[in-house]
Amino acid sequence: MSTKATSILEVSDLSVDLALAGGARRSVLRNINLSVYENEVLGIIGESGSGKTVLSRTLVNWTSPPLAVTGGRIAYLGQNLFDLPPDQMQKLRGRKIAYIGSDPGSALDPTIPVGQQIIEKLRTVEPGISTADAKARTLRVLDAVRIPSPAQRFYEFPFQFSGGMMQRILIVDALVTNPALLVADNITQPLDVTVAAQILRLLRDLQRDFNTAIIFVSSALGIVNEIADNVLVLADGRVVESQPTRDLIDKPQHKYTQDLIESLPRIWDADDITPQQEESKEGSRDVILSVREVKRSYQTKDREKLFGHRSVQAVRGVSFDVFKGDNLGIVGESGCGKSTLSRLLSRLEAPDSGQILFKGQDISRLGRKQLLDLRKKFQLLLQDPFNAIPPHLTVGRTISEPLYIHGGLSKKEMWERVRTTMNEVGLRPELADKLPVGLSAGQRQRVNIARAMVLEPELLILDETLSALDQVEQGKLLDLFERLQTRHGITYVYISHDLSMVRRVCNRVAVMYLGRIAELAGNQATFFDPGHPYTRALLSAVPAIEHKPYETETYLLEGEPPDPIDIPPGCSFRTRCPFAFERCATDDPILLRRGAHDYAACHLVDAGSAAPRALPPVKVKRS
Amino acid sequence: MLFAIDFFVRRLAQGVVILVGVALLIFTLLRVVPGDPVRLMLGPMVSPSVAEETAKELGLRDPIIVQFGRYMSQVLRGDFGRSFVRSAQGGSTGGSRGESTFDASNRAPVIELIATTVPYSLLLAGLAFLISLIIAVPIGVWAGLNAGKWPDRAALYLSSILVSLPNVWLGLVFIFLLSVKTGWLPAIGYQGWTYAILPALVLAVELVPVIIRSLSVSVSANLLEPYVSVGQIRGLTRSRMIAAHVLRNSTIPLLNVLGIQAVGLLLGGLFVVEYLFNYPGMGLLMINAVFQRDFPIIQAIAIFSCAALVGVNILVDFASTTIDRRLQY
Amino acid sequence: MSEHAVIESGARVSTQPRSLGVSILYQAMRTTEFKVGAVIFIGLILLSVAAPSLLGLSPTKFNVALKFTPPWPVDGWVWPHFFGTDQLGRDLFVRSLIGLRNALMIGIASVIGMFVLGSAIGMLAGYVGGWTSLILMRITDAQMSIPIIILAITILGVSRPTPLTVILVFILAGWPGYARVARSVAMSERRKEYVRAAKILGASDLRILLIHIAPNILPPIAFVAVLDVARMMIFEAILGFIGIGIQPPTPTFGTIIADGTKYLLNAWWITTIPGLLLALALCSINFMGGALERSRNRVLQGVA
Repeated sequence: MSTKATSILEVSDLSVDLALAGGARRSVLRNINLSVYENEVLGIIGESGSGKTVLSRTLVNWTSPPLAVTGGRIAYLGQNLFDLPPDQMQKLRGRKIAYIGSDPGSALDPTIPVGQQIIEKLRTVEPGISTADAKARTLRVLDAVRIPSPAQRFYEFPFQFSGGMMQRILIVDALVTNPALLVADNITQPLDVTVAAQILRLLRDLQRDFNTAIIFVSSALGIVNEIADNVLVLADGRVVESQPTRDLIDKPQHKYTQDLIESLPRIWDADDITPQQEESKEGSRDVILSVREVKRSYQTKDREKLFGHRSVQAVRGVSFDVFKGDNLGIVGESGCGKSTLSRLLSRLEAPDSGQILFKGQDISRLGRKQLLDLRKKFQLLLQDPFNAIPPHLTVGRTISEPLYIHGGLSKKEMWERVRTTMNEVGLRPELADKLPVGLSAGQRQRVNIARAMVLEPELLILDETLSALDQVEQGKLLDLFERLQTRHGITYVYISHDLSMVRRVCNRVAVMYLGRIAELAGNQATFFDPGHPYTRALLSAVPAIEHKPYETETYLLEGEPPDPIDIPPGCSFRTRCPFAFERCATDDPILLRRGAHDYAACHLVDAGSAAPRALPPVKVKRS
Repeated sequence: MLFAIDFFVRRLAQGVVILVGVALLIFTLLRVVPGDPVRLMLGPMVSPSVAEETAKELGLRDPIIVQFGRYMSQVLRGDFGRSFVRSAQGGSTGGSRGESTFDASNRAPVIELIATTVPYSLLLAGLAFLISLIIAVPIGVWAGLNAGKWPDRAALYLSSILVSLPNVWLGLVFIFLLSVKTGWLPAIGYQGWTYAILPALVLAVELVPVIIRSLSVSVSANLLEPYVSVGQIRGLTRSRMIAAHVLRNSTIPLLNVLGIQAVGLLLGGLFVVEYLFNYPGMGLLMINAVFQRDFPIIQAIAIFSCAALVGVNILVDFASTTIDRRLQY
Repeated sequence: MSEHAVIESGARVSTQPRSLGVSILYQAMRTTEFKVGAVIFIGLILLSVAAPSLLGLSPTKFNVALKFTPPWPVDGWVWPHFFGTDQLGRDLFVRSLIGLRNALMIGIASVIGMFVLGSAIGMLAGYVGGWTSLILMRITDAQMSIPIIILAITILGVSRPTPLTVILVFILAGWPGYARVARSVAMSERRKEYVRAAKILGASDLRILLIHIAPNILPPIAFVAVLDVARMMIFEAILGFIGIGIQPPTPTFGTIIADGTKYLLNAWWITTIPGLLLALALCSINFMGGALERSRNRVLQGVA
């Protein structure tokens, strides 16, 4: 960045207030100063509540009551945005200053094709351009963001696009006028890890081609590290630190930043978790849950044919064993089948074929009464803290519900149990008579946990249970799970998309892709010597501030996973695999043993020299 | 295209099933509920044996299923039977005449009777529709765009008041004030299209609140959608967002309301209003048929009105899926 | 609170945790239209209870000497006949009030009937799904294709109508509407996570229906019931007007208005004033119902 670079945006002393009910005012942003130069990517990070969303919206002059700007100026190419009359501001917006938010699905009118909407915007901000020219330009940019079959997708509706694809469309919408500045507010948050990595890489390339400055707002330093030249740290409405990215990570100046970096969960540089379960010999430990070749598919209506149905193969033959005392992590992205698997494991649905053995009994074939008895021993915890507990029952009643269902205890005994359990999970006893309306997400999850724990189960399946919580709450609950495990000897199955959490907690990891298990290995092996290219791709895409052993260039995937409706023959990952060879097109690989207890479903394991490209050795940088 | 065929085939088949079911229901109700039509036709002084004779001739003593089967096969051929009481020349028999003057073979075909009255009813319904749209759409949109502020509250009060006016009473008040006292508009019967204005006004009063409520709710809800504010950030003007997007998307619930509730209201209101104003439409025919126990007419009009409602339902659903591709009907 | 919540809600803070039904009611009670409606409604009820005895009037007592007296403030009115008298000298005020009472009873009874029946069926269909739901949808479609008037005319026009049959006809005509709404609410509740959680805990379907789903269905559609009371009262008047409603001498609005039609030119008040009272009562009910509907929309949007 040369010192003579043009300044696109100069913010000086910006302050924004929030008007509260009753006339009081709360300060949201205080004396913000920042500058963005031509062709620069500036990252802004902050925790939830730091004011970063308000900042990103104010930068495009999008404040509405109850928020109000109380001071400062934002100079775009020297012109103060606040001084501009509304119609001039309108001209700038959309044309020279663009904004992309974090909710791609609801950004466009769902009833009009996307191409038409982009043309509509183009013709509004550049009056005089003909429809034909607008369409041609749009198609060019659609091509630039690497959307397959752009001419066809031009006419499709927003709901026909996946999250990642829709984000690309919105990027097209933003860049089609060649703006000087693009504000990207948390755009990768709703996306899967590999898709987000693609978007980040795309944004970097586009930024060079279109010569656009980008302000990238996020709550994760790891993501910002991937894309930003400089970083600004926002805390409590103030700019706390501002440095080039690498410098900030290596030598943070402000205490807040230092604490932040300190508390980030490490994947690569972390200490290994205690390998006690890994090393013990197989056979000497009890298998508490055994899943054998489980399959499940759904029928949906085929809109193409007159009366036909299509088969969505959600789970296509999954097998694994869970040993007593284990923490098994099941990871995967959208469409991998892990949500269906969790429904099968908790017997909300029965598999089409295969067996699920809980301590030797096949729960997929049990009758009602026996199933009820068995339910006391294994439970499932769900993700959404706001909907997982009924809103119309008190906390105490919700927690005691399972005791009512299974019966056998007197009222007094029931309430004793409820009180003990509430105490154990860290809920204050006064909450027993309250409705869940006022509780925080963390407290609600504790109610969820208490409800499951009150039956004293032996196996707990946690389906994205911590995903909706912030870092601090997650940490507290993970400690709670550890305590419960030590005290009661519970086995856990964590279904999650958060690899850093899995790295910290799980001693065995199963990676799912398109309804199958791609890799099943111990923690160490999964992260440092994975046998399946998808695992490597996944790990390379996880944003981190440490040096990654897997380079995105080698492993980055293109495109999206194939539809679970039309799965190609052979290995289902072959279409995106950088290491595929002829055998992959014909044979569907099964889980092959690699180490003592590690498996990978990939032909590379036993192909030897037949494979044109072997998996490169993993460069592990250990300090 | 394929989707359209699938849609119509499916829905029409279901519609037919519904119609047959409704026909069966009405048919059975009429014959199960006490009250013998033959008595009414021939008068109270007729002898029981002659009454039985006539009843058998008309097929009224057969089991209901048989009667229904016969009726359905006739309907499929387009023959809705003949009126029990009205003769082809236009006068209706029944009551004071004896059995000697009852001519079973010269009764008016139901189809013809209905065909003469339908145009009047259509005129009335169409006028009512038009009036209510002209009044209600601007108010509804205005209320929706200003949700929570005084236009919205005023619209709410207006709707509530209009809904509370019983149509029979309102009709009488209109007749009294606008016709008898002031002579501005003609009221009873029909001698020109202006006779349809007062009844149409009464019907419109029933429709207006429904339209206002639906429009204001959907416009205000659509205004809150994220894409409206995002659109302004993308560079579109607020007025364009409102005109091209919000209003457009609000028409789906409106179509729903217009098609289903409005038509239903109109159909129901027609009967009463025509009776009140002695307006020679389908409704008056129906009510008189009820008093005269004229089964064929009752059945036929019931089937037609249900068919109309089912048909409108199908059309509205199809239009909705065309506007919003996410919907699946 | 997350940032988006801060921006969007403008710091509208909910303090007391309340159940859904109670918060809808509470919100509604704070609006002007609800208060206005409630005041009028309660006032009318008090009137109908107290006025006849206070003024010493009877609905059926003839007083041929006082027939055709006009209402206040038209010239010629006689105390205490505020609404005037009809062709038989009967006081219209009291007749209207009795008519109101009868109409209310019929309206409330029918609405309770259709609410309970419709919600139960709809809830079951929505929860169970599959064929049950499909068949039910077709039945409700079919029944909603029949305008209530036709149904009423068909049944009541051909037989002798009693209050019970009128109520039954209304219930028969009205239950599909509730069934549809209850079904769609049950369908969306069924997908909620806490129902899933209850199933995993081992709760039986019946238990889930009664304890979890039913309490969540009723509050959001309660306002429809209130509005329907008004609607049924109008229908009852219409039926009475045509002559197939409740028969004389029981005074109902329908028969009063029908009777008075003959005298529209000379004694216009016989038919118009009672209607005014009915319209007023309906207005109050509709105000309350409208306020409930608005508050329900607001509460659901705020919470959801």
